[in-house]
Amino acid sequence: MSAPLPVCLEAVTKHYRQGRGIEGVDLGVREGEVFAFLGPNGAGKTTTIRILLDLIRPDSGSVRLFGLELRGHSVELRRRIGYLPGDLALYEDLSAKEMLTHFAHLRGGPPWGAIAALTEAFELEVDKPIKALSKGNRQKVGLVQAMMGDPALLILDEPTSGLDPVVQGQVHRLIRSASAEGRTVFLSSHILSEVSQVADRVGIIQDGRMIDVRRVRELRGEAIHYVDVRLVGGHPFNLTGVPGVSSLPSENGLVRLAVKGDLNPLIGALARDQVEELAVREPDLEDVFFDLISGGSAATERDSRADS
Amino acid sequence: MWAVGMFTLALVMTGLYPTIRGNPQLAKLHDTYPEALRSLFGITDLTTGIGYLRAEVFSLVAPLLLIVLAVLWGGDLIAGEEDRGTVDILMANPISRSRVLLEKWAALVVGVVIAAGGLAIGLVIGILTTGMHLGMAGLSAALLATALLSIVFGTVSLTVGAATGNRALARGSAVALAVIAYLISALADMVDWLKEIRPLSPWYHALGVDPLASGFSLVHFAVLIGVTGAVGLLGVVAFDRRDLAV
Repeated sequence: MSAPLPVCLEAVTKHYRQGRGIEGVDLGVREGEVFAFLGPNGAGKTTTIRILLDLIRPDSGSVRLFGLELRGHSVELRRRIGYLPGDLALYEDLSAKEMLTHFAHLRGGPPWGAIAALTEAFELEVDKPIKALSKGNRQKVGLVQAMMGDPALLILDEPTSGLDPVVQGQVHRLIRSASAEGRTVFLSSHILSEVSQVADRVGIIQDGRMIDVRRVRELRGEAIHYVDVRLVGGHPFNLTGVPGVSSLPSENGLVRLAVKGDLNPLIGALARDQVEELAVREPDLEDVFFDLISGGSAATERDSRADS
Repeated sequence: MWAVGMFTLALVMTGLYPTIRGNPQLAKLHDTYPEALRSLFGITDLTTGIGYLRAEVFSLVAPLLLIVLAVLWGGDLIAGEEDRGTVDILMANPISRSRVLLEKWAALVVGVVIAAGGLAIGLVIGILTTGMHLGMAGLSAALLATALLSIVFGTVSLTVGAATGNRALARGSAVALAVIAYLISALADMVDWLKEIRPLSPWYHALGVDPLASGFSLVHFAVLIGVTGAVGLLGVVAFDRRDLAV
């Protein structure tokens, strides 16, 4: 008998009067993993997350966290959750210290010393009113707020959206260290490269439906690599018989290739020649993502035809 | 801030009393007003202490200001959190919605009591310095009635805000109810059918029964407290059942 899943949704549906919402979402997040919830804006990520916090109630379906039915254990469960809202709104007139102290009081929880350790790690200015803080610093206030209750489950809605690369890096490090400490992390994002850096598994949602759940490694396996090669003396390059490789327009003897999946056959083929220059660019997961989305919606159409 | 405002209002109002008391014309003027006007604006014999305070402070101005304070604030307590988006981060804390609502309500009550305290201190200073003849039992009953009345409508505003998340609707409906309650109480002496529904008006139970002269009335205060409790309970139930900030 394994431990209950930190997050378990079964057939959760939520409709809004204005449309959208989510439809029959099944989702399981395992203990200790970083699970990324990926999808375009408006796909239902925030709706799902706000259901997990009991801010909105699903029309149907079951929501269990740590094996407990959310409805009826809401307060008890929120004690174990740290939450960063997507559209972060803070108490503008308070300083970070005042807000965090107040929230610590509501949590019946951590002394200022413990919180100060977090604010110092983030180099956060705690005495200024929040309305005077930059976007990045406001996000840090939100993150400290999420972390300060020593949560077993961190729920982060678009944690890096609108941040500069330095703060993004800090957030990614925070996520990885939270995971290393044994916390479960559930984050949403619409940026694939971010997900591939921090997540173990990815759930993809579009138009309110879960399309797919994959390990990030598998996604990488389907990814496209762009390879630029220049052979000594500018020799032309024979690609016949190398699987997954297609060539793009070349310039000045620099051959540009797109490789889907495994790179080894190409490397084997290159070893037969003298290579002068070789560059491999990061897999572009966006492409994989859009492949999945188009495949997913095609599958949904098939399903709905089968239903009718 | 509101407490300071109420304090100043009380000082100015009572400070004007000696000039009015010394003016016999005003006593005659009072007799010339039509009954409807006298009733609507609580105009009584301005030359006595009770008459003056009833007309100038407790008939409309003081309760109106306190009600405005309570309604503006009450409507913002929950609906404002949703409007500004802070409800997400607030309700992520391990606290129940009922607890949030009750603590917000308690803050509202404390705020109204402090503002009413400012009014009370100003009035007492004014009464003592102008040598107004007035029983302290009547004065404290009227002050308590004014505070309770404001809490009733502040609670209406809080409850509508908690039930709908709509701040404008919360404030508007509470103000509308307060105006209706005032008119029922003020005009009931002249209009028979209003007299019959007068017990429905919180304003009647608070100030319509003339606490300045008649002092504490357990029954009327109990009605005000009961109404507040019932309205507050509706708010707790409605707030607990709905989706926040959608």
